[in-house]
Amino acid sequence: MTNAVPPEATPGGGDGEVYSLNMGPQHPSMHGVLRLLLDLKGEEVVKAKPVVGYSHRAHEKMAENRNTLQFLPNTSRIDYLSGMIYNLGYCQAIEKILGIEVSERAVYIRVIANELNRISSHLLWFGTFLLDLGGITPFLYSFDDREEILDILDQVTGSRLTYCYGRFGGVTMDVDEDFLARTTAFLARIRERLGMYDDLVAKNVILRERCINVGVISTEMAKSYGVTGPSLRASGVVYDVRRAEPYGGYEKFDFDVPVLHEGDTMARFHIRISEIEESCKIIEQAIKGIPEGAILPKKMPKRFKIPEGEYYFAVESARGHFGMYIVGDGTDVPAKLKLRTPSFSNLSAMPEALAGTMLADTIAIVGSIDVVMPEIDR
Amino acid sequence: MGYFGKVLSGFGSLLTGMRITFSQFAKTFFGRKNVTLQYPKEQPKLAPAFRSAIKLIRFEETGTHDCVACKACERICPSYCIKLSGGKVEGIKKKRVAEFEMDFSLCSLCGLCIDACPTDTLEYSKVYEEAGYNRDWRVDLVAEFREYEAEFVEKQRVIEEKAATAKKAKAEAAKKAKEAKKAKEAEKAKEAEAEAADTAEKPDTAEKPPALEAKPAKADAPAKAEVPTAEVPTAEAPKS
Amino acid sequence: MPETLSQLLDDSVLAMPIAAGLIMGALTINVLMLVWAERKVSAWIQRRMGPTEVGPFGLLQTLADMLKLISKQLITPSNVDKPLFHLAPLLAFAPVIAAVALMPFSKSLILVQNDFGLLFVFAFGGIAVIAIFMAGWGSNNKYALLGAIRSVAQSISYEIPLILSALSVVLVVNAMGFTLASGGSIVVANGLDLSHIVMAQDQHGLWFVLVQPIAAIIYFISALAETNRAPFDIPEAESELVAGFHTEYSGMRFSMFFFAEYTNMLIVSMLAVVLFFGGWDGPVLPGPLWFFLKSYMVIFVMMWVRWTFPRLRFDQLMTFCWKVMIPLSILNLLATAFVVAVL
Repeated sequence: MTNAVPPEATPGGGDGEVYSLNMGPQHPSMHGVLRLLLDLKGEEVVKAKPVVGYSHRAHEKMAENRNTLQFLPNTSRIDYLSGMIYNLGYCQAIEKILGIEVSERAVYIRVIANELNRISSHLLWFGTFLLDLGGITPFLYSFDDREEILDILDQVTGSRLTYCYGRFGGVTMDVDEDFLARTTAFLARIRERLGMYDDLVAKNVILRERCINVGVISTEMAKSYGVTGPSLRASGVVYDVRRAEPYGGYEKFDFDVPVLHEGDTMARFHIRISEIEESCKIIEQAIKGIPEGAILPKKMPKRFKIPEGEYYFAVESARGHFGMYIVGDGTDVPAKLKLRTPSFSNLSAMPEALAGTMLADTIAIVGSIDVVMPEIDR
Repeated sequence: MGYFGKVLSGFGSLLTGMRITFSQFAKTFFGRKNVTLQYPKEQPKLAPAFRSAIKLIRFEETGTHDCVACKACERICPSYCIKLSGGKVEGIKKKRVAEFEMDFSLCSLCGLCIDACPTDTLEYSKVYEEAGYNRDWRVDLVAEFREYEAEFVEKQRVIEEKAATAKKAKAEAAKKAKEAKKAKEAEKAKEAEAEAADTAEKPDTAEKPPALEAKPAKADAPAKAEVPTAEVPTAEAPKS
Repeated sequence: MPETLSQLLDDSVLAMPIAAGLIMGALTINVLMLVWAERKVSAWIQRRMGPTEVGPFGLLQTLADMLKLISKQLITPSNVDKPLFHLAPLLAFAPVIAAVALMPFSKSLILVQNDFGLLFVFAFGGIAVIAIFMAGWGSNNKYALLGAIRSVAQSISYEIPLILSALSVVLVVNAMGFTLASGGSIVVANGLDLSHIVMAQDQHGLWFVLVQPIAAIIYFISALAETNRAPFDIPEAESELVAGFHTEYSGMRFSMFFFAEYTNMLIVSMLAVVLFFGGWDGPVLPGPLWFFLKSYMVIFVMMWVRWTFPRLRFDQLMTFCWKVMIPLSILNLLATAFVVAVL
C-alpha cells in the first residue's frame, strides 16, 4: 500500500512551514470518499488537490456491455441522491433518440417525481452542510422532512433511494389520489419548515460569519471550470437546463431560476433554499394539471436499438448539468455512453476556490458545492 | 450599525435559534411526540409498490403459477441473477418451468423481469426483513409450487384435451361453412392456444415499415416470437 | 460537632482515600447521568427518543457504554511519544477531581475549605490545557496536533474573560464589605472564598446575576469555550479534525478524556451557580439539592446551546474573544470598580 500515497502526500522538503494533510478518503466530512491533499501553513490552506476515483464502478463501461434497457438500474446509482432525475433523464434521452411518445400523465408524474427528488437532494445537502459546520440539529430536522419525501416516492417506486421508476415511454406505476394528497400535504409542511430553517440557520450569526465571503467562485471562474447547477447560479449565471433547453415537459411550468451574484458559500446556500421553493411551485402546478390517461404506451418494441449516430441529451440534476453522450451503432447496446456529471466539474473548481482559506472553510466550501463522489467516479 | 449594534443583533439571532430548538424540545418532551419509528417494535407500513425479491404469482383459477420457462426474465436481467430451466412436460402442450432460481444478493430490484414476463406471473414479494447471516440468498421460486405440479399437469391435460376436441369440432364446422378464409381463422385460434408455449425471439421488426400488418409478420415467423401476444409489434422506425 | 466535612475527615488517617473515593464515585455517577442527559436532551431537541433500551428510560445506557470502553483494547499507535501519550489522559482526569473538592455544596458540606478556592478552581482548570496539548503532541497525528494547538490558544484566550468576569463578582463581595456569621464569629467576606461568595448572596437574598448580568453572560460564554463545548468545540471539531486531540485514543484512555470533559462542564456550571446564582440558596429543599439543581440547569442550557448552533471558525473564535469578550469584560470590571468606589 505504500505506493498508494502520491509523493505530494509525504511531508518533507519545502521551508518547513508548509506541511501536508491528507484529508480523506476516510474523514467524517468528506462526502463519500473524496480525498483532499492539503498543503497547510498553520491553519491556512496553501494548496488543495482533490483526489478522486475511490468509488469507481465503471458505469460507462457497463453501458457498453448491456442493452439500453438493462442499463436502467445503473442510472440511479450514478448520483444516488438525485437518482430519480438520472433515471428519468436516461429514459428521456432514449425516448428522444427513438422518438417514443410519452403520455401526458406520465410526463406530469415524472415532473412531480423529479422535483420531489430534487427537494430531497437539497434537503440532504442542507443537513450535511450544517453538519459540516457543526450544527447537528438542523441535519436531523431536514432528514425528518426528507424522510417524508422518501416515503411518498416509496409509495409508487418501491425504493427509497436508488429508484428504477422510469421506463422508456413512461413510468412503472401510476400515482393515486393518496400520493397526490400526501405530496400536497408535504408541500405545505416544507414551506412552513423553510421558514423555521431561515430563522434557525440562515439568520444565525455564526452561520453567516462562516459563509459570507467564504469560498467565492467568480462568474468567470465558474464558467471556465464548467461549474453548473446551483453553484453556477450562485455565481451570477442564469443557466438551468430546465429553462435553457426544456425537456420532459418543463416548458409547461411556470418557475423562476433563482440567481445570486455573490458567488460565496452563503449565496450557494440561499440558491438551494430558493430552489426548494421553486420545486414546490412546479409540483403544485403539476398536481393541479395532472391529466388522466395511461402511463405507458400500449405498444412498445422489445428492443430499443440506437440508430447509428451521436446523441447528446442533458437534464438538470440537483447538482447541475447532467449530460448523456450516446454513440449508437444500430444495435441496442450503445457503442459508447459518456456521462457528463456536474459534480466532477464543480469539484474541479475547488483547488482555486480553496487556496488561501482556513482549514475549517475547506469543509464548508467543499460542502457547499454539494459533491456526490460516486457521480464523480461513475 | 455600530459595534454594539452588531453584537446585539448577533445575540438576537442566537436567541431566535434557541427559541426554535426549545420549541422542538417542548414538542417532544411535553407533547410526547417524536418522529422515531421504533422499528422492531413497530413495523413500517409497506407501500403497495414495495419491492423485495421476485416471486411467482399463484393464480386463483389454476392454483399455481403460469411460468412457461420462456427465459425472457433471465435474458433481460441486468444483474444476471435469474437462472431457470424447464420446457416440455409429458402429457401437456403447455411448457412448464422446472427450476427457477434467483440470487437475491445480486438483484438490484429494477423490475425489468416483471415487465418482461409474457405471462405476468412474476411479482415482488413483500418481505421487509431482508437481512441474513450469510451471503447465500438464492431463492427457489418454484419450491412452493412443486407439490401442486402433478395435479396441475393432470388438470391441464384435461383442459387441453377438451380444448382440442372443441377445436376439432369447430374446425370441422368451419370447414363445412367456408373455404380458405375460415381455415385461416382456425389457424389463428390454434396459435392463440399455443401462445404461451412459444419461446423463441420475436422477430426484429425494426426494419419493417409501420404500415406492415402484424398477421403476415407473425405468420412468417411464429416460432420466433419471444412474446407471442397477438399484439402488433410496433414498428418503431428509428429516427436518425 | 465538626462544622465541615473536611474537619471531620482531618481527624482520620483515611481522610484522603475516603474523600477521593467519595468524589470519584460521585463524579462517575454524575458523568454517567450527564452523558445520558446529553443524549436525551439532544434527542428531544431533534424530535428523537434517545436511549430507551438499557434500564428504565435508557438510564443504564451509558453504564453499558462505559463497560464497553473499559473492556476495549488500549491501542498505542506505533510512533507516539509514549510518556506523553500515556500521561495525558491521567493529567486531564486528575485536576477536575481536585476542583470539585473545593465546591461548597452547602454551608457545611465543603470537602476542602480554602480561603482562595476561586483561584484554585481556575488554576486546576489551567492544567487541563496542558493535558490536552500533551495528548495532541504525543499522538504524532496532524489532526491531533491541530486540535491541541487550537485548544491551547482557545483556552488561554478565554480564561481572560472568564477570570475577569469572576473578578467583578469578587470585587463586589470584597468592596461591599459583607459581614458574615461564620462559626459563631463575624468575619468580613473574602471574595476569593467560594463559600463566602455564596453566603454574601444568601444573606442579602440577592443573586449576583442581577448585580452583574453582563459578567454572568460573559462567564457563561467563556465557560462554554473553556470546556470545549459547541459552538466552541473547535479542538475536537469532528467535521474538520476527526476527533481533535483525542483522535488516537481508544478504550479507557478515551473515556478518561470524556470523563474530564463532562466533569469540567459540571465544575464550570457549579462555579456559575456559586458566582451568580446564589449557590445552595433556595427555599424548602436542602442546600446541596438546590446547588445541584441549579448546576444541572446551567448544564441544560449548555446542552441546549450545543444542539442549536453551528461551530465557529478558529479565527472568528479568537476575534470574538479578543474583540468582544475581553473589551466587554474589562469595561464591566471598570464599571464595577467605579460604582464600588463611588458607593
